Amino acid sequence: MLDRLLKSCLLALTLILSLSGCGKEPLYQTKNYVFGTLVDITIYGETDEKARAAANAVMQRFQALHNQLHPWEMGSELARLNDAFAHENQPVPISANLAEMIHSAQKLSVQSGGLFNPAIGGLIVTWGFQRDEFKAIKADETAIQQWVQANPKITDLVIENGQIYTQNNSVRLDLGGFAKGYALDMARHQLMQKGIKNALINLGGNIIALGQHHEKSWRVGIQHPRLPGAIATLNLPDGWAIGTSGDYQRYFELDGKRYCHIIDPRTGYPVQGVEAVTILIPPAVNAGLLSDVASKPIFISKPAERLNMATQMGVTNVMVIDAQGTIYVTASMQKHITLTDPNVELATLH
Amino acid sequence: MLNWQRYIKVVHVKLLLGDWLVVLCSICAVILLFVTLWQNNPAAQLQIRQGNHIISTYTLNQNRTIHVQGPLGESIIQITHEVGKLEGEVRFVKSPCHGQYCVHQGWLKRAGQVAVCLPNQVSIELLGEKKAYDSLNY
Repeated sequence: MLDRLLKSCLLALTLILSLSGCGKEPLYQTKNYVFGTLVDITIYGETDEKARAAANAVMQRFQALHNQLHPWEMGSELARLNDAFAHENQPVPISANLAEMIHSAQKLSVQSGGLFNPAIGGLIVTWGFQRDEFKAIKADETAIQQWVQANPKITDLVIENGQIYTQNNSVRLDLGGFAKGYALDMARHQLMQKGIKNALINLGGNIIALGQHHEKSWRVGIQHPRLPGAIATLNLPDGWAIGTSGDYQRYFELDGKRYCHIIDPRTGYPVQGVEAVTILIPPAVNAGLLSDVASKPIFISKPAERLNMATQMGVTNVMVIDAQGTIYVTASMQKHITLTDPNVELATLH
Repeated sequence: MLNWQRYIKVVHVKLLLGDWLVVLCSICAVILLFVTLWQNNPAAQLQIRQGNHIISTYTLNQNRTIHVQGPLGESIIQITHEVGKLEGEVRFVKSPCHGQYCVHQGWLKRAGQVAVCLPNQVSIELLGEKKAYDSLNY
């Protein structure tokens, strides 16, 4: 009888263990402030130790990349190059990975007809958007016109034998619209190498998926440009990436007008009339990069040209929210998203 | 030790199969309830009620003091969110009630925790994050 009591105790114990086992999901989450922004890594199906080690390794790479690419902080490679572009036309040494980044940024810039232009760092400084916090400033009209006249383009840069130079002294590299996407692809690859099968990496709002969350795809929300919370949600299957360019994260207001951080290189002025452009990129070697870069030229384009620009950038899943709050989607994007408020009308982007 | 063994002997002599089943079922029920009802989730939102009405909902990632008028006077509720921490905490700082139970309850941190001031009819409750998605694109 004592034996039987022991047995039932054992049975109860196993029950406790098995139940508490299914109570807690093997989900590791970490939030960190690196890369000048919030980085959020979620890893599913690994032990906490393994997930933590992998996530830390990614964070370290992010920090290293950030230190290398900071456009103005003295000591970063990019700041050194910017200084050289301004003062001399002589070739200066460039690291292999930065050269590779500039090559791919040049390609994408050509593809966008010059609307994606990471060479307009001068304009970004004039508007004060390089700072961590923005002040409302009356823009210096003369300075803006000078920068636009000087017409800095990333294609003005020539890279030869591990060295870089330009004939255009107005080129100032600011890879703000490129680096996060580049880092996403890098991070996904790095996690895979560490043996992680399922993860979701959110780098300052840009997200890429690896594997899935248990038996379902990772699910992401798209921030409403004017309200707290998500305007829509969607599945982000393995290898897919999503990116948004919005006027609501980095901006200032002056005389009732909103000045966002996305500058039209043709006019030198912040883009107005659009709240957000979200793009969804299917798996590709550079899905993360494209999710970061390709939303910018669409954001900058005139309303009638946005769909063309998306096609030009090779993007089919697009959602545009204009200044009136009207939501435009492509047919393929509509299939992916679920609106938080099902009563909202969707317009077709064309 | 000897006493304990004797105790088991006394008990098991009296227990029949049905009794054991009852014992076993109760243990299982307790475990099941524990697992399903016990919440250890970090809280995401604070809901404040006055009387029957939800008067406001706040996120916890802020530092804020909230004044709520009840039949006895003003209850003061405080949210603090320390830099570097993921979630904030909330408490009653001041209450016009006699017992001050609500103030003595101290900081609330986890989803499902509640502090109530019955005399002034004010309650604060921490809600868990309704996770409609794993991460937010912005």
